[in-house]
Amino acid sequence: MAKKRKLGNAAIYCILIIMSIIWLFPFVGLVLQSFRGESGGMVQYLVPKEFSFKNYLYLFSGDCNFPLWYVNTLIIAIFVSVLQTIIIICVSYALSRMRFSGRKALMNIWLVLGMFPGFLTMICLYFLLKQMGLTMAGAVPGLILISVASSGMGYYVCKGYFDTIPKSLDEAAIIDGASRAQILVQMIIPLSKPIIIYTALVAFMAPWCDYIFASYVAFGYEKGYNVAVAMTRWVWTNDYQGFFTRFCAGGILVAVPVTILFMCLQKYYVEGVTGGAVKG
Amino acid sequence: MKKILAIALALVMIVALAAPAYAADNKAVKVWVAENVVDFTKAQIADFQAAHPEYADFVVTVEPVGEGDAASNVLTDLDAAADIFGFPQDQLARLVAANSLLELDEEVAKQVAAENDAGSVAAATLGDLMYAYPMTSDNGYFLYYDKSVVSDPSTLEGILAGCEAAGKSFYYDLRSGWYQPAFFFGAGCTLTYDTDSEGAYTGCNIDYASDKGVGAMKALVALVKSPAFVNGSSMSSATNVGAIIDGTWDAGAVKETFGDNYACAKLPTVEINGEAKQLSGFGGFKLLGVKPQTDDDKLAFCDALAYYLASGEVQLARYNAVGWGPSNLEAKASEAVQADEALSALGAQLAFTIPQGQYPGEYWGLAEGLGDDIIAGKYADADDAALLAALQTFQAACEAAK
Amino acid sequence: MISRFFRALGKDLHEIGLTFAEGSWATRLSFLIMGFGQLVRGQLVRGLTMLGLEGGILFYLISFGWNYLSDILTLGTVETHKEGRKTVYGDNSFLILLYGLLTIVIIAALIFLWRVNVRQNREAELRLKRGKRLPTNREDLASLLDKNFDKTLLALPVFGIFVFTVLPIIFMICIAFTNYDVNHQPPAKLFTWVGLSNFKELFGIGGEGFGSTFFYVLGWTLVWAFFATFLTYFLGMAVAIMINKKGIKLKKLWRTILVMTIAVPQFVSLLYVGKMFAADGLVNGLLLKWGWIQTAIPFWQNATYARILIILINLWIGIPYTMLIVTGLLMNIPAELYESARIDGANAFQTFRKITLPYMLFVTGPFLLTQFIGNLNNFNVIFLLNQGNPKSMSLAKNAGSTDLLVTWLYKMTINDSNYKIAAVIGIMVFLVTAVISLVVYNTMPSVKDEEGFQ
Repeated sequence: MAKKRKLGNAAIYCILIIMSIIWLFPFVGLVLQSFRGESGGMVQYLVPKEFSFKNYLYLFSGDCNFPLWYVNTLIIAIFVSVLQTIIIICVSYALSRMRFSGRKALMNIWLVLGMFPGFLTMICLYFLLKQMGLTMAGAVPGLILISVASSGMGYYVCKGYFDTIPKSLDEAAIIDGASRAQILVQMIIPLSKPIIIYTALVAFMAPWCDYIFASYVAFGYEKGYNVAVAMTRWVWTNDYQGFFTRFCAGGILVAVPVTILFMCLQKYYVEGVTGGAVKG
Repeated sequence: MKKILAIALALVMIVALAAPAYAADNKAVKVWVAENVVDFTKAQIADFQAAHPEYADFVVTVEPVGEGDAASNVLTDLDAAADIFGFPQDQLARLVAANSLLELDEEVAKQVAAENDAGSVAAATLGDLMYAYPMTSDNGYFLYYDKSVVSDPSTLEGILAGCEAAGKSFYYDLRSGWYQPAFFFGAGCTLTYDTDSEGAYTGCNIDYASDKGVGAMKALVALVKSPAFVNGSSMSSATNVGAIIDGTWDAGAVKETFGDNYACAKLPTVEINGEAKQLSGFGGFKLLGVKPQTDDDKLAFCDALAYYLASGEVQLARYNAVGWGPSNLEAKASEAVQADEALSALGAQLAFTIPQGQYPGEYWGLAEGLGDDIIAGKYADADDAALLAALQTFQAACEAAK
Repeated sequence: MISRFFRALGKDLHEIGLTFAEGSWATRLSFLIMGFGQLVRGQLVRGLTMLGLEGGILFYLISFGWNYLSDILTLGTVETHKEGRKTVYGDNSFLILLYGLLTIVIIAALIFLWRVNVRQNREAELRLKRGKRLPTNREDLASLLDKNFDKTLLALPVFGIFVFTVLPIIFMICIAFTNYDVNHQPPAKLFTWVGLSNFKELFGIGGEGFGSTFFYVLGWTLVWAFFATFLTYFLGMAVAIMINKKGIKLKKLWRTILVMTIAVPQFVSLLYVGKMFAADGLVNGLLLKWGWIQTAIPFWQNATYARILIILINLWIGIPYTMLIVTGLLMNIPAELYESARIDGANAFQTFRKITLPYMLFVTGPFLLTQFIGNLNNFNVIFLLNQGNPKSMSLAKNAGSTDLLVTWLYKMTINDSNYKIAAVIGIMVFLVTAVISLVVYNTMPSVKDEEGFQ
């Protein structure tokens, strides 16, 4: 029996090691390419012939607005993260804890709305934002507004978590004379640390990957770009010859902080995603 | 629910009323050009305004928007788009159809036509109206090769043999509607569209579904079978290149890769239906357009500025700064341009190419469909009848696309 | 359903009439000047809110909304024309439709608000008649933090969703019934209503359509969503079980390595991975160098390879998600169940099939559904990897072999400005998703039993 288990474990170790290699391979490639000294695009070898920092130096030289794009994205991510979390908590609390007419209808309508492909509405949103002066030079607040405005529909996971907090706690507090607002702020929020961190983390990570709508809103105004818009151009359009290694370097600079943050908060992420999956 | 809606409505109003009405500033002019000429263009505009004090009060901003993006942005929101923008000529009909370009004044058009080469003038003209200023005449493709790999660049067979022997790749962008006709036109086929001066397509002239077309197809199918063939036309994303069919914009990247073995030549010949045929293809041009204006003063300034930015003097300066081949006849005749290797290879090739007219947007997708089918090996073992049938489908689709 | 609606409407009208007939002069004046009755009775907060809203809405309608609403049936008639070389713009069909719809929505809101106003008056009068006092302003405000806290909480989110989600969706549905395409682009050209002709074009009624391409793309979209959801689900579960097995060390390390793909933004990782598999990319280069293959594998050029590769790369992204969830859930399964199964002589596979799997399927049902819907609309993976290519002559309208419906309609709007057909396809996507999810959703035990969890 013990021997069999040892054999089984050995097989599992083999599989895990192979998987780890596959999982890490692209990231190793990305890191190595970002230090590549030779110019050109993708190459057919992994280890550069010449190591250099020039790709990183380029990003921070005056020729490139990379720091600005980075700051733009960071601002968007922070604002979206905070505001979206607040809105989701509000919506989740109302839907989980309070009973009012139209509650079921509201939830069903939101569920159905989420099934409409969002890409179609981009041009419409663009013109709404334009009317408010939030395109081009106003791209950053415009993107924040759009991300936050519709975030109420993402209440599922958080509401599921609130549902698991016993209602008897609320009832006891009401008897003690607490208002609904006090219950939310003083009781529910402190009990919901994992789901709040999960919500904020997910909201923080999304703007780093927004390249379609963000490019619409920036509408050619380079100072309003975020990193994803600016850097996908380097790969997709022919105007940027020899930018592949710079793309890798920029990609690393984007990935490292986000990854570190994610790793630090991984525990909460697991709790959040698990809780959310159960209750949907 | 009541109060939710009440508050919601209050906010609707705040948003709707606080929204600033978009007043076009009649002194602000926006210019979109490709990233690598932004600084150059800024300097030229400063010179222009210094030389013309009457225009000194216009504030010009230059933003880097690539030519392809510029056209699609203009089509998305004309109001917010740049007043002057560079674009590739194949977008002309689409832009004109959406009324996004201001036609040149008749007198100016005559002058521009006289100063620039015939192909570029034709590319900027629809029906009897000229809609844009020719900026370059270098949007054609030819062969770059590594001298140590390819010893005989004059035939496709020689190039492939050289690349295969050295374990290098030969790059040709078979799936692009721009490169693909090199084989078909080389075999003697035609594919052009007729347009009226409103940018609408009125006719399609195509004879791909013929013996000539089948011959070109066979040559393409054979090319794809070579282990050295890789589909692509961008030097910066190519690896292990022995030879590549590409344009002048990649000259720098190619020189860097090939080093001392850098060489270029006109496109090779290829054996089609038993004869050696010279590969043909498109010659293309970059144009500078002005969007329709609602203010007379601004219109006059945009006209003058666009004319200046596309003038011979600036074209030559632009060649010296970033290597874009001029369309202006005087600039073309200058020593520096004459001595340019890549541009002379292009010049040699231009004798065999047709100036690219207007093609409907759907054509490019259709060409990619045909190209992808060939690359995927769908016709690897097809007989002549099957190839003809495929080309008939393609031809019918092209005719329907007008 | 319909009769119920009319009955409710009738009751409503009756109540409105009664309010007017029995009401005081202040109540009657409130029918015209909203909030007047409330103000007279000293309910300053309610009265001023109503009055302000009415004033604001009327101002909006007169100064802005009416101009657009009046043209909504034609979507504009004044053509853009030229005076000399100068352009004079005419009507903008796009803005007429957009702001016209906004105005309709706001008028509907005004009617609703007016009804609320009438009811408030009625309730106040009845209350006074019964000799009860009205809530003071302070109480009104305080209730927003207590009894009516839901209204405070939901006001902003509902408003945001209305303007930035519902309105645009109504707008795009309307576009499906217009001829808004490359030849009818505002501001220089007008577009107008065309009825059902776009739907006819899609399904090839009365001419050559591209229905076959639509069903081809739809078919692949469903196949993709199925594999992308269930392969990642089962493999992710397997990985979680392996890592969680007793005796496996470094559990944290394995998990951390795998979740890298969640943490790194997809536009970085997927763009790089897509390039890796190019015909002349890193993978082919290494395989050639090691002598495993003689000629490059056309990963992205061959439709079948491309589809398989996309599903495999999606595993790379998707397995870690499932692994995380399952890891959390595995702890919840009572250990005794496994213990007794072992005593009964069940092997690992049997315990998985009899205990783990049924539990997981029960608990993660909603998650699977959201995953499936997410995958139907999984834009990033397809677009960042190969933009839906390769194309083929047998596919119409620029569709590629790996295009999902969403990437296809995105290409239509960006490359061809073909908004009308994109809108039609959008409606189809919506119908497909809605049907699938409503059927599945309503049969799920964990949804039916919402209150049971609390």
